[in-house]
Amino acid sequence: MFLLLPFDSLVVNLLGISITVLFTLLLVFIIVPAIFGVSFGIRKVYMKTLLKIFQWATLRIERGAKEKNHPLYKPYANGIIAKEPTSLEQEIKELRRSSSGKALDTPEFELSDIFYFCRKGIETIMDDEVTKRFSAEELESWNLLSRTNYNFQYISLRLTVLWGLGVLIRYCFLLPLRIALAFTGISLLVTGTTVLGYLPAGRCKEFLSKHVHLMCYRICVRALTAIITYHHRENRPRNGGICVANHTSPIDVIILASDGYYAMVGQIHGGLMGVIQRAMVKACPHVWFERSEVKDRHLVAKRLSEHVQDKSKLPILIFPEGTCINNTSVMMFKKGSFEIGATVYPVAIKYDPQFGDAFWNSSKYGMVTYLLRMMTSWAIVCSVWYLPPMTRQPEEDAVQFANRVKSAIARQGGLVDLLWDGGLKREKVKDTFKEEQQKLYSKMIVGNHEDRSRS
Amino acid sequence: SVLSSPPHQLSSPPTVTSEQIERLHRRFKQLSRDQLTIRKENFDSIPDLEFNPIRGKIVHAFFDKRNLRQESEGLADEINFEDFLTIMSYFRPIEMNMDEEQLDRFRKEKLKFLFHMYDSDHDGKITLQEYRNVVEELLSGNPHLEKESARSIADGAMMEAASICVGQMGPDQVYEGITFEDFLKMWQGIDIETKMHVRFLTMETIAHCY
Repeated sequence: MFLLLPFDSLVVNLLGISITVLFTLLLVFIIVPAIFGVSFGIRKVYMKTLLKIFQWATLRIERGAKEKNHPLYKPYANGIIAKEPTSLEQEIKELRRSSSGKALDTPEFELSDIFYFCRKGIETIMDDEVTKRFSAEELESWNLLSRTNYNFQYISLRLTVLWGLGVLIRYCFLLPLRIALAFTGISLLVTGTTVLGYLPAGRCKEFLSKHVHLMCYRICVRALTAIITYHHRENRPRNGGICVANHTSPIDVIILASDGYYAMVGQIHGGLMGVIQRAMVKACPHVWFERSEVKDRHLVAKRLSEHVQDKSKLPILIFPEGTCINNTSVMMFKKGSFEIGATVYPVAIKYDPQFGDAFWNSSKYGMVTYLLRMMTSWAIVCSVWYLPPMTRQPEEDAVQFANRVKSAIARQGGLVDLLWDGGLKREKVKDTFKEEQQKLYSKMIVGNHEDRSRS
Repeated sequence: SVLSSPPHQLSSPPTVTSEQIERLHRRFKQLSRDQLTIRKENFDSIPDLEFNPIRGKIVHAFFDKRNLRQESEGLADEINFEDFLTIMSYFRPIEMNMDEEQLDRFRKEKLKFLFHMYDSDHDGKITLQEYRNVVEELLSGNPHLEKESARSIADGAMMEAASICVGQMGPDQVYEGITFEDFLKMWQGIDIETKMHVRFLTMETIAHCY
């Protein structure tokens, strides 16, 4: 036996007590409500306090800039030029009308027709819609995160102290807490679903599986300090349907799955993700594909329609954009999920970037860096709107249906509805779009030409 | 860095503000990937441009030495920021305080830009073949349209142009092509100078104390 100085044992005791207290607090205030799906409202209070602090910080920066007589630059979200909103037909009609003595209904081809395309071309050279969408949306007030501040030189001492305090809180208090929670959530999910795998299929298993899933997702939501507002919960997806949402980050899955019980669709990964996926599928039928199967569109469509037709199976959760967009717009929805013929339940997710930017720029950050950024932000605040279900009308094809759903989502979430393919972040434009524009123009010319030759 | 003085070849006083030049400069740097010059390939990085049926002609216009107001003929291999601004200056909006002569020059400049787009062999005339090229490009991509139809449309339009410019032609007369004067005649009555411009959005600044 060796002698322990009384001082050492005191320190050890204190340490032990404080860790136990922390742990109990953790349990009581975070995990228990997660299990039962209730909330104490702590996060909302937290959010309000943070907002007040941010406003103060922004005012200080503005004051600092005024004192030094410099203009502050707000990064422009709308681009640098005003694009003419007139359509192709309108423009060409106007140009023809203004030339003397030509009747409107006998156009064939005019020298001035080139003008519309010329101007559009110059406009896109000066300012491009698409590449703008792929970088994180830029903020108007400072949220005490250095990663979003462009006016760094106007910060006073008081602000720096506040910022330093913020860093301390985020990295030394919130981060370990969140990591602990995430760890708890994920391990509970894996063990819970594996255990359930041994139960015989039946109502009991279903019930337990649903609650295990929900509980673990709720813990993960708290691990990110995600403050979510759900709207129109009466429109939540039902069995045999497909839930379709816009995609900003991998967190979208956690956000939606903590409020409803879904069957996931995706590719099987290796590593930790793979472990989680394999465990989940033991408790309830998710649809996982091997890497090779993902390329085969028919196989994917077949498995999805089989799942959907079985009414006892859960609604499928799909993100048709195919990649993460920065949450200011909705890009083209891939038509695959809309061809299956099931009822589609659209969901719009809109993040408030003021507390933490949830957008995952996969070409810039890897998954681990991204998660670290998420866990060291203040909070993730978002709104989820459940839109009424839609089905494909007989006269629409899959692409038109997809666009209709996309517009509904964009409108609800206040996002810009773009026709562009999210895959553009990585590949070049498909030739079909070039054809569309040319088809429209040639229809105008040729149609009229044919009318004339017939008469 | 940004231009310290406007290019001296511009015939009218420069009307782009320094703010706008700075923004165009940023765009130029984005397109050139921080190099000092741009080549044709740099325009491939603009996805929206693929949309455009006359994409080739527009990009070509940036390198056309006639548009760059250079003495020599032909095409440049690469352009710098000053050249970029020169091309953009063709799309300047009209100014309130311009007199008749300035307006006329303004209009002619813009029309010359368009003329160069049609006249791809730089001989000062738009021949039937060049006209056909433009029409075909604009109408290409339509699978239902045969080459013959595009051709006949172009021929019809060319005939019409000839009748405006030369009046009635005898059976042996051959119409060489549309010269710039004829081109101007055809655009009479169309306010190209009010339509051929790109307007800048005003940039927002928070604290602005000068």
